[in-house]
Amino acid sequence: MKDIDCTGKTSRAINQEIRHHIQAGETELRVQHPQARHNLGVAILQPVSLTMSGSVGYYCGGLIDGPRIEVQGSCGWGLAESMLNGVVIVNQNAGNSVAASIRGGTVVVRGSASSRAGIAMKGGTLIVQGNSGYMTGFMMQKGAIIVCGDTAEALGDSMYEGRIFVGGRIADLGNDAVMAEVTDQDQEFLATTLAQYDIAAPASFQKVVSGRRLWQFDKKDFDTWREAL
Amino acid sequence: MSERPVVRHSTTWKPETIEDIQAKADLGRYRIRGFSALRDRPLPSFDDLTFVPCTLSRIPLEGYREKCSTRTVLGTRFAKKPIEIDIPIMVTGMSYGALSYNAKVALAKAAARAGTSTTTGDGGMLAAEREHSDILIYEVLPSRYGINVHHLRQANAIELTVGQGAKPGTGGLLLESKVSDEIAELRDLPPGVDQRSPCRHPDWFGPDDMLTKIEELREATDWQVPIFVKMGASRVYDDVKLAAKAGADVVVVDGMEGGTGASPDILLDHTGIPTLAAVSEARVALEECGLYGTVQLIIAGGIHSGTAAAKALALGADAVYMGTAALIALNCNKPLYVDDYQAIGAEPYACHHCHTGRCPVGITTQDPELMKRLDIDAGAERVGNFFNAATLEIQMLARSCGKSDVHALEPEDLRALTLESSMIAGIPLVGTNVVFGGGPGWKPSSER
Repeated sequence: MKDIDCTGKTSRAINQEIRHHIQAGETELRVQHPQARHNLGVAILQPVSLTMSGSVGYYCGGLIDGPRIEVQGSCGWGLAESMLNGVVIVNQNAGNSVAASIRGGTVVVRGSASSRAGIAMKGGTLIVQGNSGYMTGFMMQKGAIIVCGDTAEALGDSMYEGRIFVGGRIADLGNDAVMAEVTDQDQEFLATTLAQYDIAAPASFQKVVSGRRLWQFDKKDFDTWREAL
Repeated sequence: MSERPVVRHSTTWKPETIEDIQAKADLGRYRIRGFSALRDRPLPSFDDLTFVPCTLSRIPLEGYREKCSTRTVLGTRFAKKPIEIDIPIMVTGMSYGALSYNAKVALAKAAARAGTSTTTGDGGMLAAEREHSDILIYEVLPSRYGINVHHLRQANAIELTVGQGAKPGTGGLLLESKVSDEIAELRDLPPGVDQRSPCRHPDWFGPDDMLTKIEELREATDWQVPIFVKMGASRVYDDVKLAAKAGADVVVVDGMEGGTGASPDILLDHTGIPTLAAVSEARVALEECGLYGTVQLIIAGGIHSGTAAAKALALGADAVYMGTAALIALNCNKPLYVDDYQAIGAEPYACHHCHTGRCPVGITTQDPELMKRLDIDAGAERVGNFFNAATLEIQMLARSCGKSDVHALEPEDLRALTLESSMIAGIPLVGTNVVFGGGPGWKPSSER
């Protein structure tokens, strides 16, 4: 385990240090005193393990492909945005747009997630152990979102595809988001995925998918389009 | 013999207006089309300005002999590797999806041939586009379709796109006929949907957030390549200042004449400001920030010739983007396959049916048979030739104004042919020494 102390350093210097150690062959790194700096651990493309010993700012683990990043605190906006593959875990709460536009990998929020969690997801899995905010899964394209707690308004608004599972209460559904039956295959996916991160599954889940009414313009469905456009 | 009745057309209920109402009565929604603005009323444009070449008060360069540099450098503010291109004309971002494979590769080859850059678009990077282009700009758009860190790191510059001139404030459209299985897979979408791109980025909203996003992109590319910020021309004076202060190396402003593969037509005709006004506001904005010359300015939107490009440079741009003009050089709107134009309700020279996916000349289509009509190498040669011709036009005008570098063109080399262009661009009206103005692009003659 290689330690990097952020005290008195810029994000630039910290990231350079991280890359230097990875290039030197280190596979386990601990970033101490991150103090909510932005853009830590961006664009890491190697299967290394990175621990942030504290809270981080915006875009931690953004644009990564392969590493495992654990944030031992909370995070700002856009955790793991556009990730291709890897695992990013935040032990407390996540700011807006966690897992925005990820195309693969898994993001785990052990606390609650703020607005637009899983926005525009193109693959991968987002797990929120607590509650999630307004417009969770907005314009989601693929992948799965698992919220063990409650979700705020406009869940799954304008989603193209993908699956959203909610263990608690759904405040309301967004445009063209509809309830669907939880299949045996879904149950198996939920059990396996949550067990992987030692998360106790709620008693039951509700499932939300796309109603597919926004897939094509339809003049006969004006009420839907008035809301959506 | 009865008198022939006088046919009187209303100026309110013109044939186009009647046809528009009846089309919407059938569609039940706004109309969607491609191409560019089709307004009845002409927009103020670079055509409203004229160059005032050397006579006795200035000395020209020999038009066909003396050197006139066209070398253009972009991204000198923070990037370790600014872009160096041979000409001040670049290919703007147009997606693989909106355009065919053949069109994208032809543009990449043409750009390489002309010593300039091409840009990806709202669908990610095409491997062949990277392979055939020397300088490739990777767009990071609100949709993030096809976003891939490996592609990002192969780029020579990153363009963080906030909007486009054809439809500022809204997202892109790709209608079902163009969302083929391949395009759908690249964008992680269901095949055959009407794809509606978001207008906001998923993980940032305003300029304060954008500052952090720009830093993230720099970290992802190790501060090597320039970061552009592209916007549709709207409140340019304020928006350019915000982009510059957020840390952009290069600001791209796309005027309302900018083209698109598909857009609600009201947005094409009734939103944004003309490119002439955009460049004027952008220059003053950068000057007032003390960043003119430090942050480079690229102007786009209806740039159709070397003359328009030269006027944009004189008004303050470092380079221009061409999109529609490059497609026209590829054969867009050329009278070939006339029956196929008519089958989609168009005519050569008046086709704006890119949204249908039935492009008769194989440019804005995903149909393999139509695509074959565009020969990649022949198309690349035509676009390369057009860029060369436009470059010669810029040089010709620059030499006539006594400039040995096209970037030395300046507002003093221009005069306005109309009152409104004088007011917009802050250029004296011909026959007077008076600048009629008052907007952000205007300065009294005592301060010029």
